[in-house]
Amino acid sequence: MSTAMPTHPSWDALVDYWLGDGDAAASDAIDAHLMQCDACGALVDEVSALSRGVRDAFARGQVPAMLTPAFVDRLKATGRRVREYRVSHNGSIVCSVAPDDELLVSHLSAPLQGVTRLDAVLALSLAPGREQRLHDIPFDAQAGEVVFTPRTAEVHHLPTHDLRVRLIAVDAGGEREIGHYTFHHQAARPA
Amino acid sequence: MDAIDVAAPDSAEAQLAQRIAHAPAGAARDAEAQLYRLLAPRVRRYGQRHLRDDHTADDLMQHVMALAIEKLRSGALDEPRRIVSFVFGACRMTVLDLLRGQRRRDELLRRHADDLPLADLHVAPRLDHERVARCLERLPERERAVLVLSFYEEQPAEAVGHSLGLSAGNVRVIRHRGIDRLRRCVDGGRRAA
Repeated sequence: MSTAMPTHPSWDALVDYWLGDGDAAASDAIDAHLMQCDACGALVDEVSALSRGVRDAFARGQVPAMLTPAFVDRLKATGRRVREYRVSHNGSIVCSVAPDDELLVSHLSAPLQGVTRLDAVLALSLAPGREQRLHDIPFDAQAGEVVFTPRTAEVHHLPTHDLRVRLIAVDAGGEREIGHYTFHHQAARPA
Repeated sequence: MDAIDVAAPDSAEAQLAQRIAHAPAGAARDAEAQLYRLLAPRVRRYGQRHLRDDHTADDLMQHVMALAIEKLRSGALDEPRRIVSFVFGACRMTVLDLLRGQRRRDELLRRHADDLPLADLHVAPRLDHERVARCLERLPERERAVLVLSFYEEQPAEAVGHSLGLSAGNVRVIRHRGIDRLRRCVDGGRRAA
């Protein structure tokens, strides 16, 4: 016999519960609590709605994000139409996007061993003189690559342009460029 | 089925269950509808969490509620006031069967699914994905990546951490911070709309 938890679980505990974190006993206690507490049930519905919202937005190509190679492999395995480009260290590539591509993914090869923090600086030829700096981007040093997807839904509508990406390693001693990459994007249709 | 005490015996659910059990079979339609309205969303939520599929969660809800009302109508429940415990136990057993492959989805709906009292149910809100996308873009890169990797596949912290070279604890800290910001941003936009 088990009993429901005497107090309401916190928001963080409900997020953990929804994502399967925590041990079986904690999960059982929250299951039992939710069978009698609609206030906490409404919070779980909110977590569920946020989860679904993130999923929908990402699936529609509306969210630029740093990813991992394994995650991209799983996207493809589930039937998502993913167009990938692999750019060698300090290299460039001619790229495009087809109307039925759901996600564009770029793999940037980089010497990441020993790097503790990485920033990326993006410069688009469509906005001369302007740069966007992405701070503290996630990466897997062992894989030796940075994987990212742009806002694919927007790229579908962009004219032909160049995108230059610089990867900057940051540590206590300062910062240094560890790689640069150029994408020569060809618009699917003249814009 | 194990007995699990999860609700007070004088709760609204217990009172409704006793009204159904003490009435001639099928005569307490109003009490059945009220009980359904109270318990069905909880069963569906349990299914969504443990089955990760909305359609199967809906089927679980129909099956468990049909079973519960059938048991109450027929007098097969020794203690109708413990209806919440019965429903919880039925959820657990059915989900375990489904996960073990011992029960098929279509089998869930075989019993009296058409005979359930109809009631308007609370449905979890569906968010505007464009607003969610705008709010996600305001997050620092690391928080956004952790939220995408966590929620796209509904992965626990250990799996996300493994793929990003982070500890599970670190992922949870980043995730909690990120989802708090996302929640506030989405809520703010919803109130402004």
